[in-house]
Amino acid sequence: MTAAAPAFITALEQQPFSQAIAESTWMFPCFESLHVLALTVVVGSVAMMDLRLLGIGSKNRAVSELTSSMLPWTWSAFAVALCAGLLLFSSKASTYYNNIPFRVKMVCMLFAAVNMLVFHLFTARNISAWDYGKPVPAARVAGAVSLALWITIVATGRWIGFTT
Amino acid sequence: MIQEFCDWLAGTALSQAFANAGWFVPTVQSIHILMIGAVIIMLSVLNLRLLRITSSGPSLQALAESYIPWVWTALVILLITGILLTITEPGRELLNYAFRLKMIMVATLVVLTFVFQSAVRKDAGYWTASAGRRLAGSALAIASIVLCICIVAAGRLIAYV
Repeated sequence: MTAAAPAFITALEQQPFSQAIAESTWMFPCFESLHVLALTVVVGSVAMMDLRLLGIGSKNRAVSELTSSMLPWTWSAFAVALCAGLLLFSSKASTYYNNIPFRVKMVCMLFAAVNMLVFHLFTARNISAWDYGKPVPAARVAGAVSLALWITIVATGRWIGFTT
Repeated sequence: MIQEFCDWLAGTALSQAFANAGWFVPTVQSIHILMIGAVIIMLSVLNLRLLRITSSGPSLQALAESYIPWVWTALVILLITGILLTITEPGRELLNYAFRLKMIMVATLVVLTFVFQSAVRKDAGYWTASAGRRLAGSALAIASIVLCICIVAAGRLIAYV
């Protein structure tokens, strides 16, 4: 049964590349492996920064030094995970569109983006005051929220496979 | 023989209890993936430093000292969650060639990580002491990176082969 989905979702599903992925036996597992590999780098590096903000890990490193060494890898891996994820999505777009864990995952990613923006625009402004020491409460909250969201993103991502 | 063991294990009350709880497999798999993320990022930081691609921040020895204990902790959690998944669906794992290949690669990665750790613990400058050591360090780092990539891919491919 295919539930209703907006026109652009069904149009995406009917693209030649989407159908090629859906029909191929090896393309979906390959893109999925790539997606998982990239997301382990994203989640691992984000968790490392979150644990520093929480004052649990990498306590002997400056927050700014840790983030500047991690973020290029986080963003590169995120770009790979996003591209692979879009290809996986397009193969069964209307199914995923109607899948609850998928929707929860997308909302959590949106929240993670907002949390990161708030951190960079406001909390990190006076980073020099706590760069080497214990982060200010707002920074610790940002770290905790980010960690919780990314754990949920991994869990809901895995749940998609058990509900479609 | 393995088939008989799988049949026996799948018939145990524990295996059936796990299999009948719909939330069990996705929850344990999620923890498994999160721990893989932890291992991959820490080993990647060490491997890139060993390859001298990155150079900022703490020394290789300092990084190894703070990360390696966490790598072993994550590997123990991976072993436990992996065993739980195998108890739940013994045939899916033990009879699967992607799973067997993954186990061989995991064992190799554990040995490489142990070799790396023992050397840097004994002598902070071990991997940079000579051209030969640098080459050996680079080879170890490349092998570790390739193994990490192949382990993740093989793990996901268990569901398909």
